[in-house]
Amino acid sequence: MLRLPATATAVLLIALAAYWLAGVIGAEHKLAAIEPAPSARGDYRITLAFAPERFHQVLLQEKGRLVEVRGNTVFMKDVSPAALRSIARNYWVEAVTRWSGS
Amino acid sequence: MTPQAALGLPLQRPRPVRRWGAAARGFVGVLILLAAWQISVPLVGLGPYFYPAPADVAAAFVDLVRKGILPVYLADSVMRYLVGLVAGATLGIAFGVLIGMHRKAALALSPLLKFLFAIVEVAWIPIFVVWFGYGIETIVLALIYVVFFPVLYNTLLGVRTAPQILVNAVRSLGASRLQVLRLVILPSALPGIITGLRLGAGFAFRGLVFAEMVAAKTGIGYLIFEGAQSQQTARTIVGMIVMGALWLSIDQFYLRPIERATIQRWGLTVDAGERT
Repeated sequence: MLRLPATATAVLLIALAAYWLAGVIGAEHKLAAIEPAPSARGDYRITLAFAPERFHQVLLQEKGRLVEVRGNTVFMKDVSPAALRSIARNYWVEAVTRWSGS
Repeated sequence: MTPQAALGLPLQRPRPVRRWGAAARGFVGVLILLAAWQISVPLVGLGPYFYPAPADVAAAFVDLVRKGILPVYLADSVMRYLVGLVAGATLGIAFGVLIGMHRKAALALSPLLKFLFAIVEVAWIPIFVVWFGYGIETIVLALIYVVFFPVLYNTLLGVRTAPQILVNAVRSLGASRLQVLRLVILPSALPGIITGLRLGAGFAFRGLVFAEMVAAKTGIGYLIFEGAQSQQTARTIVGMIVMGALWLSIDQFYLRPIERATIQRWGLTVDAGERT
């Protein structure tokens, strides 16, 4: 009787779960390059595949202190490991590297 | 026994619903519109800021997805819509039943509700912004306001048209007030509630887009508004198309099946859209 709404909801939930899982796996992959693994607040260089728009800057500002934007790269200070992980989960983040902060 | 069987004629099998045929016809309509739009672009001779081509809009769509903007805006809009719809519908049903069953409550609340109904949600948004700022609270409150009245009045209608003979019959068997509500009033009011929900869902969608234009920094409504503000007209059109597609999906996958499973199943009404 209500097969269509149930199927649509199931498909939607599966898609959301797949999206979330892809983000988690992607984040692990992006953060694997950082040595040693982030364990405290630090300064990072977030590289995107495009020049960040206001949307990206606002979103990143919620995760730490946005210091500078240069081309496709955003320089951030005082980013916690959890915040860094949530940044790396975004598919539009290409790479995350440690930054000396100067 | 059917008339055919009574006359000894072979039974006619019901004609299958040509759902895919109707969908294909609808798709052809969209293709014709897109072709006409594309052909008209060089004829009109205006730049993409004034009159973007379908290809520009498609490129803007891809760009918004690639940059992660559209998924976030879409998720925000859907979340606000669901919260507003559920809260507004719950309040509308509760007040509808209360006013429908209690004469004193009806007398006390009716003038106030009529007064509030006359004030459209657009008028409330500035004051909500003052009270709650730019954010989900303002938008959800506006949506609750939009959903509340159609659900309330349709529930009220359903409650008041519940067959009195059934109410009396159940009461004579010793049913409590709550049992009368559960066994007679609510089942009788269900078609009205569903109609109210469908109306409310439609109104909420329009309210959502407007509220996001005024009081949000994310969402499809904001995308439409921001696209026009920043001279990215193609993005505005992407927002409009996403909005239309979202509503079609909600209607097709949720509202129509729910309506079919309740109202139409009992033969109380036929959806005009299903006939065409």
